Amino acid sequence: MAGLRVVKSRDEFEGEIFESLAIIQGSDLPPHAAGAEFEEIGKARKRIDGVQRVTGRATYTQDVVLPGMLHARVLRSPYPRARVRAIDSKKAEALPGVRGVLHRFNSPKAAFRGEETIFRDEVRFIGDEVAAVAADDVETAVRALGLIEVEYELLPHVTDLEEAITDEAPRLEDGGNVFDAGSLKRGEARQAFKDADAVVEGTYRTSTQLHNSLESHGAVAQWDGQILTVWESTQHVFGVREGLRAALLLPLSQIRVICDYMGGGFGSKGGVGKYSIIAALFAKQLSRPVRCVLTRHEENLAAGNRSATLQKIKIAAKDGRITAIDHTSWSNAGQGRWVANPTGPTNTLYDFANLTTKSYRVVTNAGSLSAFRAPGYVEGTFALESAIDELAERVGVDPLTLRRRHAASQTDPRTTKTYSLKRLLECYSIGAREIGWSKRRAGGTRGSAPHRRRGIGMGTQIWGGGGGPPAYATVHFNSDGTVILRAGTQDIGTGTRTVLAQICAEELGVDLDRISVRIGDTEGPYGPISAGSLTLASVGPAVRLAARDAREQFLGAAAGVLEVPRTELRMERGHIVSKGARTPISEVSKKLENNTVIGKGSRWPNPESLAIKTFGAHFAQVEVDTLTGEIFVEKVVAVHDIGRIVNPMTAASQVQGGVIQALGFALSEERVVDRSLGRVMNADLEWYKIPTVLDVPEIVVRFTDRPDRRANNLGAKGLGEPPIIPTAAAVANAVANATGVRLRHAPMTPARVLEALAVIQ
Amino acid sequence: MSLFSYAKPRALGEALRLLKNGTIAIAGGTDLVGLIRSGLAKPDGLVDLTGIEGLRGWTREKGKGLRIGALTPLSDLETSPQLRKLAPMIAESLRDAATPQLRNMGTVGGNLLQRNRCWYFRDEAVPCWLKGGTRCFAVEGENRYHAILGAAECVMVAPSDLAPALIAYDAEIEIASSIGRRTVKLGQFYITPSGRQRKEHAIKAGELITSVRIADSALERRGAFLKAMDRKAWSFALVSVAASAKIQGGKAHDVRIVLGGVAPCPWWVPAANKQLEGSVLDDNACLAAADAILADAQPLRDNGYKVTLARELIRRALRSLVA
Amino acid sequence: MGADSIPRCSIPSNDMPPFRGPDAVDISLTVNGQGATAHLRPQRSLLELLRGPLGLTGTKLVCNAGNCGACTVLVDDRPVYSCITLAVACEGKRVETIEGLSKDGELHPVQEAFIDHDAYQCGFCTPGQVMSIVALLRTKGKPTEDDMRRAVTGNLCRCGAYVNIVKAGMSAARRATK
Repeated sequence: MAGLRVVKSRDEFEGEIFESLAIIQGSDLPPHAAGAEFEEIGKARKRIDGVQRVTGRATYTQDVVLPGMLHARVLRSPYPRARVRAIDSKKAEALPGVRGVLHRFNSPKAAFRGEETIFRDEVRFIGDEVAAVAADDVETAVRALGLIEVEYELLPHVTDLEEAITDEAPRLEDGGNVFDAGSLKRGEARQAFKDADAVVEGTYRTSTQLHNSLESHGAVAQWDGQILTVWESTQHVFGVREGLRAALLLPLSQIRVICDYMGGGFGSKGGVGKYSIIAALFAKQLSRPVRCVLTRHEENLAAGNRSATLQKIKIAAKDGRITAIDHTSWSNAGQGRWVANPTGPTNTLYDFANLTTKSYRVVTNAGSLSAFRAPGYVEGTFALESAIDELAERVGVDPLTLRRRHAASQTDPRTTKTYSLKRLLECYSIGAREIGWSKRRAGGTRGSAPHRRRGIGMGTQIWGGGGGPPAYATVHFNSDGTVILRAGTQDIGTGTRTVLAQICAEELGVDLDRISVRIGDTEGPYGPISAGSLTLASVGPAVRLAARDAREQFLGAAAGVLEVPRTELRMERGHIVSKGARTPISEVSKKLENNTVIGKGSRWPNPESLAIKTFGAHFAQVEVDTLTGEIFVEKVVAVHDIGRIVNPMTAASQVQGGVIQALGFALSEERVVDRSLGRVMNADLEWYKIPTVLDVPEIVVRFTDRPDRRANNLGAKGLGEPPIIPTAAAVANAVANATGVRLRHAPMTPARVLEALAVIQ
Repeated sequence: MSLFSYAKPRALGEALRLLKNGTIAIAGGTDLVGLIRSGLAKPDGLVDLTGIEGLRGWTREKGKGLRIGALTPLSDLETSPQLRKLAPMIAESLRDAATPQLRNMGTVGGNLLQRNRCWYFRDEAVPCWLKGGTRCFAVEGENRYHAILGAAECVMVAPSDLAPALIAYDAEIEIASSIGRRTVKLGQFYITPSGRQRKEHAIKAGELITSVRIADSALERRGAFLKAMDRKAWSFALVSVAASAKIQGGKAHDVRIVLGGVAPCPWWVPAANKQLEGSVLDDNACLAAADAILADAQPLRDNGYKVTLARELIRRALRSLVA
Repeated sequence: MGADSIPRCSIPSNDMPPFRGPDAVDISLTVNGQGATAHLRPQRSLLELLRGPLGLTGTKLVCNAGNCGACTVLVDDRPVYSCITLAVACEGKRVETIEGLSKDGELHPVQEAFIDHDAYQCGFCTPGQVMSIVALLRTKGKPTEDDMRRAVTGNLCRCGAYVNIVKAGMSAARRATK
């Protein structure tokens, strides 16, 4: 095809910069003119798939039922570490209703995350996959699991982060248990600490947080002899397709992955899972559709988590400014091969001269970490923003004032590139006004009862969210004038279908209800993972281009049909408008019959010379019962600088949800592992405590809402992760303000608050 | 999950005849279904009590006190304005107990007979002492939610919020079996698992709780119920306190303080109650009583906070009786 | 599955009612206003009955332990967790699920309000939330905001749509009393 070019693009994903290639054609659209008036963009629109969601008709992977479908269940290691010596599955195979058994001694190789097979020789955590059964029904599958005889050789284990980094811990890998996961140095921190007026040191801890998406991970696989079709609850249909290709060695053209509705994605549904491979292997082997969906218990053992961290921060000030930070972090990666970097915010958020940061991945006999909504940044920001408040108090500067001194810079301290847009100071001003920062008093104020103290605190967030290529969209005009938008993305609950339809409607000049959105299917054009806050900024600009392309083509065709020069035509509110005449689009499309207009759009690369970031600040007001240790969060003000807001209603929902999930991290959510047994004691929703409706404070959502015109043609950036990042720190700082006591371990449970208040007898 | 058959008798007599070896009574099923699924109960047959007439609802007759049928859904007690007036601690204890759905399903009898929530006990893979194993795993393990008082071989805690409230009213329960009926003070009904008694209460095979009774005189008490949780709803108590007393001329008589969430059974200390006889329930008196209750506390590695919490909740509950 | 209701066998009062099962037994009940029958083992949950033989997949399976509320349905007007309710115990009872709320293509006011107020994100807890609020509005025409919050304390939402769920519930209450 003519005019294709390949260009490099630098994109940020989960705190890391990646270089990618983008194939582009033609030219990008300029951003909307300043002061442009919109019909759809920026308007609060109800979700276009709302009826399906409220009537129970939305089809989730869990709801896919196929004729003849078998049910697969997984046998999981009951030991935190053991060698699988032998497996005898004869009894299980003989059970009526059992159709197949897979384990390491009989299953084909299936590559998964760098390992050759999904069933390990050495199982490394309770919940590690040992075998799988496919049977006519779930109950038979479960009974069959009990009939599989496994000979284990038990090996010494360690599950706890702080135990694993000691010399006494069993060495789990040749290199030990602790691995470098990145470091950064800027200036001369050592000298700066010597020259400082004040140095504050603190050790911070964050506990393991479990995703607990309400729909568990799972897949339904069907093999028709030629095409493997997999329905999966995923944040990336193309990632699942690639994972299945690598595992099953099928050509991509023979794999189709579908995710219509999915019940929650907070990072752990980023690619293929062992359950998908198990379902696919069985489906191919048995020529029957196979469902493999995790139970809640399995979900909490083997589907990922936010690592527990141990973080040490040393921070120095001179003349009322931060001069140096030293931040070292250890993350419990379980059996994960990577680690989210808690020092990310320290590396990039503030402008100060001297910095050393180090991040370590610690291997333990616990389930692997996986990305969890702003991985690393939630944990790191809790520590960093707590430490900054501690420093501010030490040097007697208002904590917001101290931050302002380091937040004005328009240059990314890590890359020295200029920010495409940064309005963090404005976030501070809006938030301070909404929370009543001027009424904040050192030492807090009296609460609503004699034993209650009230305090105000805040925290800052930085995150990527600029998105990037590759992302594609197509726009079809049907012969009745309706429009089908296809994009290679999936709606994980953020409202992606709706905002893409808004962008499409705006560009086309048709009403929103004329547009149908088809996503979540690898039969459509490629799109990125719905993670890293990159969906809107990646796919939105491509949709805009596709819609523009379709519009231009349609107007060209309309010119022929209406016999009016093309230059005199435009599209407006569902009509072709020329001098003095308005013709409904459907009239023109009817005449075109089945000569279909197809517009295409692709995401253009990010500007090479700019750093694209999102910024924000949360302010919290809390009351603390100083005698029971209970924290009552009364109000959270969340202010975000994320470029243009396409749909204020769904955007507000994102922020509220992020704040609430963050409150779980801050106050109640914590995986509990018995160290000697290696067992997760609360792999359920009874003792693993996610927030209830009564845990929700008043939440005020504000946006700077200025398009980032240099970021992409839409001026929009991501919002999925920013609102979970600064809440825990804001609450911790508010608690410190209220009580004079610093909580350095999240979650800040009543037990920890009482311990910090040192009133335990 | 084991296979079981199912019967739904219409009368108590039928139910009692059906309750024999291998069968278990079920009402709301909010606890039992989970116990069956995790292999902690393996009935051959379930006897569904919810079809029995006459054990649902509550009545008040002067001279006979308050009688609550064992099959009354918890939500009926929680939402009744009349009962709230009559015995406020009951509604207060149920307001933060579980959830609306569980209170709709769960019955008074089932609530009093529910088994403990210890995560080692509930984990089918852990052979804990209460299930016939050799040791309690929580003692050396993860014990933030476990007992600080009164434990022997097992450090689980009594889970019911309703039980402490009823005991603070000095409630009795009526128990029926195919042999006859007996009446027991609810306060005497619970057992600290120890020695050969690896169970939480004194119900015998073939017995059913049919009603709860509170005497007229007990209804003259003032009562308060407080519960601390680690989120604002839907949590078993870290500590709960039911306190009641007869208040005359600003002074407290016949004080009863009953704690949940701190011991393997609802916990009270008679000496501490006596200590408050005639007291005006000022802070010092309340805290002294709390200290008397907690004097024997033996916190484990992770639950020392419960001592602080209990002390303060006892103070607040007592103070509110004279507020 | 027949759509027609099978009349319940009456049991002579003098006779001991027999244990049924453990093999599959016949049960009949009313689901969304229509008679329904099923043949299943006594250990099956109401949720399994709804999602399996009855094909009503709007009610969601999440914890299967009565800990989350995604499976909330109404039995004789009261919200319960169908995952820990035995199907056989619902013999002769009236069960309502999310699928039964809209009549003749018209959404129930609570459903409308959920759409208007963006009271969902991923939507997985939505059917349960809606059923809890519908039950509240039947017993309390003019609920306070506290009533509304307490009505959904047994329905967890991991996306954190609670603010809008409460707003939607209150708006539906106002709409219903107009």
